[in-house]
Amino acid sequence: MALIALRRDRPEGRSGLLVGMLGPVVVAGLVTLLAWLVVQVTGASTSGIVILFGINAVMVVGFQCFVGNTGIVSFGHVAFMGLGAYAAGIVSVPVTMKSIFLPSLPHFLGQTELPTFWTLLIGGSVAAVVAFVMGLAIMRLSGAAASIATLGLLVIVNNVLSQAHAITRGPQSFFGVPRDATFEWVFGSLIAVVVVSAWLKWSALGLRARSVRDDPIAAEASGVRRLPARLWPFVVSAFITGVGGALYAQDLTAFSPDSFFVSQIVGVLVMAIIGGLSSISGALVGAAIISVLAELLRRIEAGFSIGPIEVQSAVGISEAVFGVALILMLRWRPAGVLGALELEVDPRLGRIKKGVP
Amino acid sequence: MTVVIQRVVDALSVGSTYALLALGLTLVYSVMNLINFAYGMLLVWTALVAVPLIDTGLPAVVVVAICLVFAVGLSIAMGRVAFRPFLTAPPVTLLITSFGVELVLQYGALLFFGENPRILRVPDFLTKVLFIGGLRIPAIELITIATAVVVVLGLYLLLNRTFFGVQIRAAAEQPDVARLMGISPGRVLTVVFAISGLIAGVVGLLWFAKVGAITPRSDLDPTFKAFVSIVLGGLGNTRGAVVGGLVLGALEVSLSAILPLAALGYSDAIVFLIVIWILLLRPRGLIGPSAGL
Repeated sequence: MALIALRRDRPEGRSGLLVGMLGPVVVAGLVTLLAWLVVQVTGASTSGIVILFGINAVMVVGFQCFVGNTGIVSFGHVAFMGLGAYAAGIVSVPVTMKSIFLPSLPHFLGQTELPTFWTLLIGGSVAAVVAFVMGLAIMRLSGAAASIATLGLLVIVNNVLSQAHAITRGPQSFFGVPRDATFEWVFGSLIAVVVVSAWLKWSALGLRARSVRDDPIAAEASGVRRLPARLWPFVVSAFITGVGGALYAQDLTAFSPDSFFVSQIVGVLVMAIIGGLSSISGALVGAAIISVLAELLRRIEAGFSIGPIEVQSAVGISEAVFGVALILMLRWRPAGVLGALELEVDPRLGRIKKGVP
Repeated sequence: MTVVIQRVVDALSVGSTYALLALGLTLVYSVMNLINFAYGMLLVWTALVAVPLIDTGLPAVVVVAICLVFAVGLSIAMGRVAFRPFLTAPPVTLLITSFGVELVLQYGALLFFGENPRILRVPDFLTKVLFIGGLRIPAIELITIATAVVVVLGLYLLLNRTFFGVQIRAAAEQPDVARLMGISPGRVLTVVFAISGLIAGVVGLLWFAKVGAITPRSDLDPTFKAFVSIVLGGLGNTRGAVVGGLVLGALEVSLSAILPLAALGYSDAIVFLIVIWILLLRPRGLIGPSAGL
């Protein structure tokens, strides 16, 4: 037993739950500190990239929260991102602007203009409610059928977003969202969602979900019902992803339904796989690695020169690199960098005398 | 009455396209539990290769033959390089791997053919429309239905009347026993990917002859339809794929007939809602896995 360790389980008991939650939160804190240092050292030029990284980290934590605990690959999380973004956008665009470009918005929505905290909460809640309703059906399915049903969810949400002209302006771009995704909000949210996700993982809810993942028959024989065991992680992870979407909306300020479709899956999926699907710490590490890689690739895509050698722009290469990275990672290290390991920081151990286990 | 018959013909045509799509996908699923996200890219690549070939003025038969050989080759290569190493991996790993393969194939297509849509110039007889007793039947719909019948029959004979078929069914139903009986999983996999590629090539040409334009990113639509069809019919069995495809086609056509104009935009969402609802009632699909391959 050490003060700091990488472990698959958590100490027993109520205090053990808190200790288990502390590890991922410490990782989130370190990531935040690192991001802050990067902004301090390099100045404003990188702040946009750092904020995007933070938002991606929120999204990956949300994704991992469901996939890690239930073992079902979800393609539907982009839908929650979109729902969060639109919900947050609708309640945060200034009233005067709404009366011009969204004239047929229901009256109470047209008159609302909420501060950032509430927009994030509403973004997350809308996604969570949709996840609950759809999850009642989708979470009854297993394995590949469930994955495809989440893809169906994505198609449904995308279709509705691009057809509900009165609320979303349809396929046209939705704009005018105030740029409120500041460093404090993004990384504050990141730490908050890591707390929620870690709590879910180490609580009875997470244990039930993982028991159904590892052996559905044994779990059911032990009295764990399959549907709720999967549904609650789905709802919580949709909430987190919705918050991520709300932050994304307030960083982009303008977006359209197609900003939240299949091409968006790639980034989150790669980050989660590289870091390790079963670990929150891994999700954060994966988000950091891929964000750096994505930034490098973006520069390559734009074309660059090494001394006299001109490298032409290579549009789309980042997706191809991600694709190859996915395959190689799954081939040689399918569990990701951290696997199921979670950082554990146990402050109680300082007080325990030597010789006591 | 003619309206009803017209709808039935439309539904058959759409449904048989989906059934074909689903067949190519479900065969691979049955032997290695892979839901291949890159499947749609086979269609796109085949159609993209067809575009310059047609422009050279080769006869249609030759173009089709070259395209099908290409599709089979690409599918086998995909199976060997990308999926063979994952033969025993869990389905989740396979699904994500295929997503990676899709990205790579898409980048390849972008690199070779660029982002702009290509037009597939089809021979004149395909664009003709037949009028039979008040019915309006585009020639391509008839050809699609005929192709589907031929492919389904051929596949049935192959699976049930040939030695290869026995091997494939054995590998699908009892992989371990099949291996003990000396059936090489690698060989079966190659054969299955070849058949899957052949079907993908056929549907690819039909699909894009109907749609007209191809971009490297037009793979999602066929992939989704194939996914929904196989889940709807029941994963991993050929009867399920055919039934799933036909039901999906019937659903789409009847929705576009029934829905009021205002709700027509939501038809995709409604189709998917109905599919999820059917799956609620029958979580293992309409046919179910017990029916065998």
